[in-house]
Amino acid sequence: MNTILIIEDDRTLSEELSILLEKAGYGTERVTDFKDVLSQMEESAADLILLDISLPEENGEVLLQKFRKENDTPVIMLTSRTEDLDEVLSMSYGADDYITKPYNPTILLLRISAVLKRSAKNVQTQMYQDVKISLVSGSLIRNGMEQVLTKNEMLIFQILFEHQGEIVSRDELMTALWDNDEFLNDNALSVNISRLRGKLSALGIPDAIETRKKQGYLLK
Amino acid sequence: MKGLDYIKDRITAYVMRGIAGLTALIFLSAFRVQAQAVIVVMVLFFVTAVSLELWDYVRKRGFYRRLETALKELDKKYLLPELLEQPDFYEGKLLVDALRECDKSMTEHVADYRRQSREFREYIELWVHEAKIPVASLRLMCHNSGSSSQKMAGQLGRIDDYIENVLYYARSENAEKDYVIKEVSLQKTFGNVAVKNREALQVMDAELATSGLDRYVMTDGKWLEFMIGQLMANSMKYCSRERRLVIRVWAEQTDDRVVFHFRDNGKGIDAGDLPYVFEKSFTGRNGRENHGSTGMGLYIVRNLCERLGHRIEVFSEYGEYTEVRIDFWKNDFYKMD
Repeated sequence: MNTILIIEDDRTLSEELSILLEKAGYGTERVTDFKDVLSQMEESAADLILLDISLPEENGEVLLQKFRKENDTPVIMLTSRTEDLDEVLSMSYGADDYITKPYNPTILLLRISAVLKRSAKNVQTQMYQDVKISLVSGSLIRNGMEQVLTKNEMLIFQILFEHQGEIVSRDELMTALWDNDEFLNDNALSVNISRLRGKLSALGIPDAIETRKKQGYLLK
Repeated sequence: MKGLDYIKDRITAYVMRGIAGLTALIFLSAFRVQAQAVIVVMVLFFVTAVSLELWDYVRKRGFYRRLETALKELDKKYLLPELLEQPDFYEGKLLVDALRECDKSMTEHVADYRRQSREFREYIELWVHEAKIPVASLRLMCHNSGSSSQKMAGQLGRIDDYIENVLYYARSENAEKDYVIKEVSLQKTFGNVAVKNREALQVMDAELATSGLDRYVMTDGKWLEFMIGQLMANSMKYCSRERRLVIRVWAEQTDDRVVFHFRDNGKGIDAGDLPYVFEKSFTGRNGRENHGSTGMGLYIVRNLCERLGHRIEVFSEYGEYTEVRIDFWKNDFYKMD
């Protein structure tokens, strides 16, 4: 389980973030004393840090700059400021991503999992049961049989795979697709899912994706 | 300063002098002064009067001519006092001193308003950032409490949009340079706007079609995102009831610019309203039919475009379509490296 350190001075927001992240299966730590945030960041064993820019004692950008000198824990900046300059600065100080408030919770979770995935040091080939997921060729391989997926199908499969055994709502799938510049409508999503099912059954696993009425989909 | 006008202005003085001369002449003849002496006195009198007039005219002419040309050529007339030299005659000095005094008081006045407007703007910026925090908390609360609060999330989205409008209105009206011009991806910017509006678009069963957005333009990313967001909001607000909303977005590249097109198949804009859509508080026919119109959206967008140096145009046919085009000039001067 990955742990996330939340550094946000608005208490309500910080608590809600922590609830959101815990529901999504992360462990959370919250900074509540803003006197010496830097040492708390350094002492924490978190896998990822959510850092607000406007903090009472020391600005998040300054903190990030100091923190980066010695540490490479991924950091996502959170801000309510809407100026390009902040984004440029944060990224140049070594932030891994930058999200403006009020963020869409689904997107926040997607970005977190993307950053964690990028920073995972040992990227092993991903396997779903005995199916090899080849991101390079965008295909699924089982027993020497290969099925090439379209970009959308691959995105859908990956999200279901990341949440294997859990229900993923259509809404979450949609947000993820749109976040990748694929502006599908409801029908197109159904079409993509049935094509993906078709390809999975061609590989000999016809019931991999289950439909849960009014809830979403589940990869067994 | 014209000679003739100067003479006209001095006509009373000439008449008085004439009368004085005539009276002197009558007196001199009454006292039976010799004719030669009278002539000498009269010539002396006349020559002195004319040369005095000429001298006065010449020294004033130089100053007033300079003043007139300066006034004509100045783009900002209020800078006049800065250009005037101190003249060497009394009235001129009075005038220059008065103008300088006015200028000083005006400058103080303007500085005062400028400061007030800056402070107000800073307060707005601060307020916006603070207002966003509870909105963010509420969003998360909605999400954390499950799907029953979808409707609330929708309303929160609206609040957030209105808050954003205030911010960009304050920015578009102020002369301060608070944008960063850099290479911005049209794809990414449009994508952000699309994701933000996904729920609303899907409820309407709208279709988005994009092509050729894999280009970069020189602009401020956040401002562009706001502008496209406004266009998207308009398309959703003024959609046609008879057909499903289709928004087509594409970009094309020419030699000297990238042209961004944003086209919908909505209500369109009445031909009579078309020239005024970018004007402040203008709502027109669509505004009368739709109560949510403020007439601010496109006005702010146009102002932002002007400040960033982009050209924006709108084309429409009532009942058919609306298309907004933004021209981004390709200017290597902007590039930092």
